[in-house]
Amino acid sequence: MSVSELKERHAVATETVNNLRDQLRQRRLQLLDTDVARYSAAQGRTRVSFGATDLVCCRTLQGHTGKVYSLDWTPERNRIVSASQDGRLIVWNALTSQKTHAIKLPCAWVMTCAFSPNGQSVACGGLDSVCSIFSLSSTADKDGTVPVSRMLTGHRGYVSCCQYVPNEDAHLITSSGDQTCILWDVTTGLKTSVFGGEFQSGHTADVLSVSISGSNPNWFISGSCDSTARLWDTRAASRAVRTFHGHEGDVNTVKFFPDGYRFGTGSDDGTCRLYDIRTGHQLQVYQPHGDGENGPVTSIAFSVSGRLLFAGYASNNTCYVWDTLLGEVVLDLGLQQDSHRNRISCLGLSADGSALCTGSWDSNLKIWAFGGHRRVI
Amino acid sequence: MPLKEDDCCLFAEEYDGPPLSYNIPCAVPINVEKIPVAAVVSPVCISDNMSFPVIQPILSVESKKFLIDSVSPTSVIANCGSNQLELVSDSITVSPTSVIEHTEEEEEEEGGDGEDCELSSSGELLLRSCSVKESLDLNESSSNPLVPDWESNESVLSMDYPSSRVTGDCVSETNGDGKKQPVVTFLGIASDDGFEEEESCSNLRRVRVVPVKKQPQTKGKKGSCYRCFKGSRFTEKEVCLVCDAKYCNSCVLRAMGSMPEGRKCVTCIGFPIDESKRGSLGKCSRMLKRLLNDLEVKQIMKTERFCEANQLPAEYVYVNGQPLYPEELVTLQTCSNPPKKLKPGDYWYDKVSGLWGKEGEKPYQIISPHLNVGGPISPEASNGNTQVFINGREITKVELRMLQLAGVQCAGNPHFWVNEDGSYQEEGQKNTKGYIWGKAGTKLLCAVLSLPVPSKSTANASGEQLYSANSRSILDHLEHRTLQKILLVGNSGSGTSTIFKQAKILYKDVPFLEDERENIKVIIQTNVYGYLGMLLEGRERFEEEALALRNTKQCVLENIPADEGDAKSNDKTVTMYSIGPRLKAFSDWLLKTMAAGNLGVIFPAASREYAPLVEELWRDAAIQATYKRRSELGLLPSVASYFLERAIDVLTPDYEPSDLDILYAEGVTSSSGLACLDFSFPQTASEENLDPSDHHDSLLRYQLIRVPSRGLGENCKWIDMFEDVGMVVFVVSMSDYDQVSEDGTNKMLLTKKLFESIITHPIFENMDFLLILNKYDLLEEKVERVPLARCEWFQDFNPVVSRHRGSNNGNPTLGQLAFHFMAVKFKRFYSSLTGKKLFVSSSKSLDPNSVDSSLKLAMEILKWSEERTNICMSEYSMYSTEPSSFSN
Repeated sequence: MSVSELKERHAVATETVNNLRDQLRQRRLQLLDTDVARYSAAQGRTRVSFGATDLVCCRTLQGHTGKVYSLDWTPERNRIVSASQDGRLIVWNALTSQKTHAIKLPCAWVMTCAFSPNGQSVACGGLDSVCSIFSLSSTADKDGTVPVSRMLTGHRGYVSCCQYVPNEDAHLITSSGDQTCILWDVTTGLKTSVFGGEFQSGHTADVLSVSISGSNPNWFISGSCDSTARLWDTRAASRAVRTFHGHEGDVNTVKFFPDGYRFGTGSDDGTCRLYDIRTGHQLQVYQPHGDGENGPVTSIAFSVSGRLLFAGYASNNTCYVWDTLLGEVVLDLGLQQDSHRNRISCLGLSADGSALCTGSWDSNLKIWAFGGHRRVI
Repeated sequence: MPLKEDDCCLFAEEYDGPPLSYNIPCAVPINVEKIPVAAVVSPVCISDNMSFPVIQPILSVESKKFLIDSVSPTSVIANCGSNQLELVSDSITVSPTSVIEHTEEEEEEEGGDGEDCELSSSGELLLRSCSVKESLDLNESSSNPLVPDWESNESVLSMDYPSSRVTGDCVSETNGDGKKQPVVTFLGIASDDGFEEEESCSNLRRVRVVPVKKQPQTKGKKGSCYRCFKGSRFTEKEVCLVCDAKYCNSCVLRAMGSMPEGRKCVTCIGFPIDESKRGSLGKCSRMLKRLLNDLEVKQIMKTERFCEANQLPAEYVYVNGQPLYPEELVTLQTCSNPPKKLKPGDYWYDKVSGLWGKEGEKPYQIISPHLNVGGPISPEASNGNTQVFINGREITKVELRMLQLAGVQCAGNPHFWVNEDGSYQEEGQKNTKGYIWGKAGTKLLCAVLSLPVPSKSTANASGEQLYSANSRSILDHLEHRTLQKILLVGNSGSGTSTIFKQAKILYKDVPFLEDERENIKVIIQTNVYGYLGMLLEGRERFEEEALALRNTKQCVLENIPADEGDAKSNDKTVTMYSIGPRLKAFSDWLLKTMAAGNLGVIFPAASREYAPLVEELWRDAAIQATYKRRSELGLLPSVASYFLERAIDVLTPDYEPSDLDILYAEGVTSSSGLACLDFSFPQTASEENLDPSDHHDSLLRYQLIRVPSRGLGENCKWIDMFEDVGMVVFVVSMSDYDQVSEDGTNKMLLTKKLFESIITHPIFENMDFLLILNKYDLLEEKVERVPLARCEWFQDFNPVVSRHRGSNNGNPTLGQLAFHFMAVKFKRFYSSLTGKKLFVSSSKSLDPNSVDSSLKLAMEILKWSEERTNICMSEYSMYSTEPSSFSN
């Protein structure tokens, strides 16, 4: 078979795929008679209302000297790890706002960090294409550098996101600029499986974010610069279970809905979307009024019940709180007292859902929680 | 006659004139207005609330001697002198003894955990009830982990202090006595602040003194903790660097929060430190070490030393009557011989001789001359009355005595002109009359008269060391500031990694560590096996082709009687590209391994075993024949020949890569990851002689960051991490103009596209760009063979080439012309997009000197762009015409 013949066939095949995809889209549109917001409005649901003291900034974690790029909470104890452009990971006690560890990184350009489920170690990754694991129990030498306890090397592009598999300290999923996600065995430092890549039906551009289902740790979602999100099953790495189209820009962030059957995405097109993984349908688009003046969505998080969606935007220091049912913005943290003075780059909810932590390019982290008077027990 | 009465009033003002300049802050009326606001309400609250605090109104009545209505004593103190403070704190001890006993008891209980104590004794001091509640909340992390007090809109984290701001705003909300004390703290500092602003341009010393006096007042007994009012003056306490508040063991963490600027009360964050405590910056107390772990302590001490708010505020230092700008202060602190113990205050500085002293006093030290700080020196800077002038300053009697004893003619009140080396001449005359400090005796004399002598940085190293210990913190701080980042970008194959390696070799004493070299060796050897594999692949192809050719020939020649003999028919399948069976086996195995993609896994280990085989293979005629046709092997990179020709050496187990080998090697700096290198330009002797003012340049450190070209498009997700770089160096391989990428576009056009997307990226809006046109050597060689117009961007390249090229060295070569043409193309392109000028440099990345000069140019641009901000606009326009001169 000659090269030209192959090329011809390839062109034909691509066209078929595009046709089918288009048909699928049409069909989906046809089936989509309503979305969550319209349905719940029809059901007479009313939007969540926020009192003046229901969500206020009650702590500011100061200590970084560069832009904060990522943060993560421990599952149980109220500690936070944050990664910043000053080349440090800082582990905070969110209650006292004391720093318990400050880890100087060999590569200052860190993009992501994660706490292990048992809270004993933290992982981080960045432009050095390596995911480094630091044990918090190891002692620092006199320069304040903590030795790297494990280097997960193998990505051929920057590490954009990492997350531990819930309740498994030995497994970690990273996403990378080399278009793949990798499931790692932390104890051996070897790849368990690679998702996507050259010969597989994976992402066709940089993968920016992963989120592992809380209810079924075998499932995870990845969001990518090819403006799709994909669902993967860690037991079958060969191909993506499902691909979710819809966004018109890079999918910057994905997050599983608390029930594990839906997930939210945030994208460069300025919208957040909610997808159902069982039907593959897009359930709702969360698009702010005005034409994209808030810029791309940088990070999202769901409240424990899933009723609220917190979304950080790139411009105007915006951080909206969406009512997921009605698709309305109910609060803008950027307009609250003591809000960040620069882009909110990352946010996360504590495991019990009682507090939201936001990290910003103004080098601070802030903790938001219920701020009213509460009866002391 | 009311007018006259007014006159009388004016007359009364005269009394304030000469002597009482220091008493002005005591201008009570202003303060009295302020006091009642805070005071009137709080006593009400207290009396409403509970039994114990009622004592205080009584107290204030007792100490009423200086105030008419029952103003809370603390707020008065905040605005008055310290004597009264003692008065009040004494009177506080009058409070019912039972309570005091209680506190003391508790003090004994106080073991490790302060919070427990508070809880157990919560019944005791109702005064503190609110804070106890809060600590309760906090400790119950299981139920309500984050129950913030809503009142703390204040972002700070200590549980008690935040409320102070609220109380300050709407006093009616105060519900506990414990909050009263912070009220004062807050107001005190706020008024402080206003005070400093008001006065910042007048006398400084006064400003310095006032904040020290305005300490937050404690209601506890003297020497007790400012927060829990427990303990005596003998219990160990931590002191706030700003307001001098002292906190005991259990309170310090709550009062100071996470200490983002070191040991300061939460309310004091952001305020400049008390200058008298500058010495203790970064010196950790034993208490803190006990309370926090090492890392935290280190972090806090570091931020304490380096954070902006704790640096010596430049505007407090006056030199020759002008407050310094921050940059000037930096210059002053980083010069080779900086003033010792620089404190806020007025100084005079004689720029010619380097003499330095306090305003109105004799010289104190001789610092580096010619620093561009402060204004011109005034004649009465040192308040001299001798009518003898040195560099326009009337000198003091002591100095005159010294001059006379040193044998300088001082008759007739001469005006001297003294240089930094001590040579002096009379004003208006050319000839040097002598050296003041030339004689050994003079130095002794100076010591006796406590006058400074010039310190030779080489001579008295001990003094230097003393100094360095003193001001290390300053240097550390500057180090943070002076790191300049240079971003190195370029398309793949443009030679960024070679430039990076070159810089490493150039500017590092030990460019590659032992284990790094070991890794590199493995990489090189693997590469060489890879090249060999490609050769073998080529050999197979050539063999097949040769056989096919022969077959067709034989077909053609079949009819012709074969007179070539038996020999030919025997090795029918043997061509000049054929190899023996043993080598064939090895070759097959190598190709199979390569195809499987695990060459890197097997090879380092296997190299010892196969080294002799490789040697044999390399010497084989077939391989040599293939090697001769290497230009037909598309995959074989150009550097392969460098290694293949030395394959036998390289593949021995004890091979050690030389710097040149490393430079040539591919894949040493990983193409996917990022590499960075900290360096400073070593100073050559000639430069030092040329420009002594460049001394502090050695302090400047640079960081060269090489980023992967992959994904560097317009939607690059990580490019905003490099917002803070000083400049971007974009590398272009000039020999790319005829190369074509996989998808058929010209590589130069791809480069242009990347260049466009980077220079127009919003992050780099005000960035300086340096374009390095790389691989000049290849261009020179190639442009003779392949016309530059091969790339459509360079279509209009019509060089006027002289016929006597080569022989005539006056005319530029075709290579030079091509380089200039490209440079102009890029410059025009750049200015059409950004409206700025582009700096361009050529280099041969394999030649250390050309890389060195390119990076030095980068350094010059960086330095220039720093200075540019200080220089007026007219000179700015000069700059913008400049770049064309850089193009070579």
